[in-house]
Amino acid sequence: MSAAADMMEVSPAPASRNWAAAAVGLCLLLACVAPLGLNGYGLYLLTLTEIFVLVALGLNLLTGYAGQISLCHSAFFGVGAYATAILTQKAGVPYLLSLLLGALLTTAIGALAAIPALRLKNIYLAIATLGFGVVLQKIIFEWRGLTGGGGGLALTAPRIAGYELGATGLYYLTLALMSAGLFGAWNVSRGRTGRALLAIKDSEIAAGSLGIHAAQYKVIAFAISAFYASIAGGLFAYLVRYINPESFSVGLSISFLSMVVIGGLGTIGGSILGAAFYVIVPELLRGIKDAPGLVFGLLLVVVMVFMPQGLWGMLRRIWRRSAG
Amino acid sequence: MTRLAIEDVSVDFGGIHALRDVTFALESGSIVGLIGPNGAGKSTLLNCISGITRPTKGKVLLEGTVLSEMSASSVARQGIGRVFQHPELVTDLSVHDNLLTACHRALDYGLVSELLRLPNARRQERAAAERVAGVMARLGIADSANTTIRNLPYGYRKLIDLGRTLLMDIDFLLLDEPIAGLNDAEISRLREILLGLRKEFDLGILVVEHNMPFVSRLCDRLVVLDLGELIANGPPAEVLGNARVMSSYLGEMADA
Repeated sequence: MSAAADMMEVSPAPASRNWAAAAVGLCLLLACVAPLGLNGYGLYLLTLTEIFVLVALGLNLLTGYAGQISLCHSAFFGVGAYATAILTQKAGVPYLLSLLLGALLTTAIGALAAIPALRLKNIYLAIATLGFGVVLQKIIFEWRGLTGGGGGLALTAPRIAGYELGATGLYYLTLALMSAGLFGAWNVSRGRTGRALLAIKDSEIAAGSLGIHAAQYKVIAFAISAFYASIAGGLFAYLVRYINPESFSVGLSISFLSMVVIGGLGTIGGSILGAAFYVIVPELLRGIKDAPGLVFGLLLVVVMVFMPQGLWGMLRRIWRRSAG
Repeated sequence: MTRLAIEDVSVDFGGIHALRDVTFALESGSIVGLIGPNGAGKSTLLNCISGITRPTKGKVLLEGTVLSEMSASSVARQGIGRVFQHPELVTDLSVHDNLLTACHRALDYGLVSELLRLPNARRQERAAAERVAGVMARLGIADSANTTIRNLPYGYRKLIDLGRTLLMDIDFLLLDEPIAGLNDAEISRLREILLGLRKEFDLGILVVEHNMPFVSRLCDRLVVLDLGELIANGPPAEVLGNARVMSSYLGEMADA
């Protein structure tokens, strides 16, 4: 059963719903006080995790729910980063408004990226989206006048209502936007769109017989997903304060896809765990001399072999077993 | 009374004539059995009516509206429900959520309402959940509302698939081999459900089925296809007495 069903009002017993609400509340509370206990680098990592959670939430709607693979999410992330940075830095648009405008632009581009998905499936769609991502990355690279090309863009701290947004400020903004993103993704997952996406993933013909227009929902899934990636990109740009086209290569798209698969396809919790795994585990492995990359790679293999449902699926199985 | 008309429908797949000039009509409130040997074109005809296959020639009309140029989802919106031979359910979702998926058309809140779960979205979801509860009660499956589809037996899944079409405000129901894989108790329950639906909603039902005792007891009329051609159309007793039907279809069954 997917998280969508798990979290449905009707599905679980009220007791477990209260538990879930309590767990979410506790996590948010911890996230709110986290800056007090973390040094600068720790705060950076936690902000980065939250940014990746946003991307994973959007990508999971597309891949986990609608069953559409995408290898152009790093490009959406990059377009969001560049659009937000350019609007804020060069056009003097307020940061929050830039984030939104960048996201609207990326949403439109995301809808365009859905066009191949109307004809292609699986590995063929993966290659088409890969091409789309390369084109976007190349446009960013070549449009030197606007983007600075290969030299990249250095950014100064953004301001909101006159206040300069430092690391802590950006952390709280990210936390707020991630929470909003979680709320939205959870609602979609248990609403008519979430159900329509799952139906399309199972069988487009059967979905059609229920009056669900598969093409329309694929476009919607790509668009929402691009919106999430773009907001995340706009936050990322100001977290690292320097962006260049190389940061948004296909490798990052593959990382995004792995987060979703490792965390758990088609689950909200999986998006969170997958992003956290991807940021935090390499840090924990940093102490291992010479071979952090090797161990991380092996861990990915182990997770996939022993937890095909991802980390979230594993947790849920343990939870159910202990609950009897 | 509404009328679903199949007019001169032909379907060619490459050089193969799957259907040739098939013409008949289905009125609301009537139950018509579509029979014929394997490969006669029965499923192709259902696919034509539901917009999955486009006829090479001829058309399907619902009260003057041409269905045969519409997509499958548009045909469904016109009130034509289709139940596939093998239940096409989302196996990871619960019975309740699978039925809710069929309320798609009835829910018209926008994406923003959905993202923020605004009051209109919540209200509509609640109303849909009530309709789902009604259908579950009608089909006698209320106890398994929260069971995941993958944990349910085949016959049960077929009932749920039928339940989904009932949530779609349909006027016509297309059933493809509804009793294949069902046990005797499930078959008689299905018959009662179908007769009840006809009586209550004046539903027109077109059923493809191999089981002769079932169709002849259930249907008002039988339409017989053989090699893509319509060879008989009439009351069960008359059709089953037809010599050509006997040789092409029932003869084959006797041989088998």
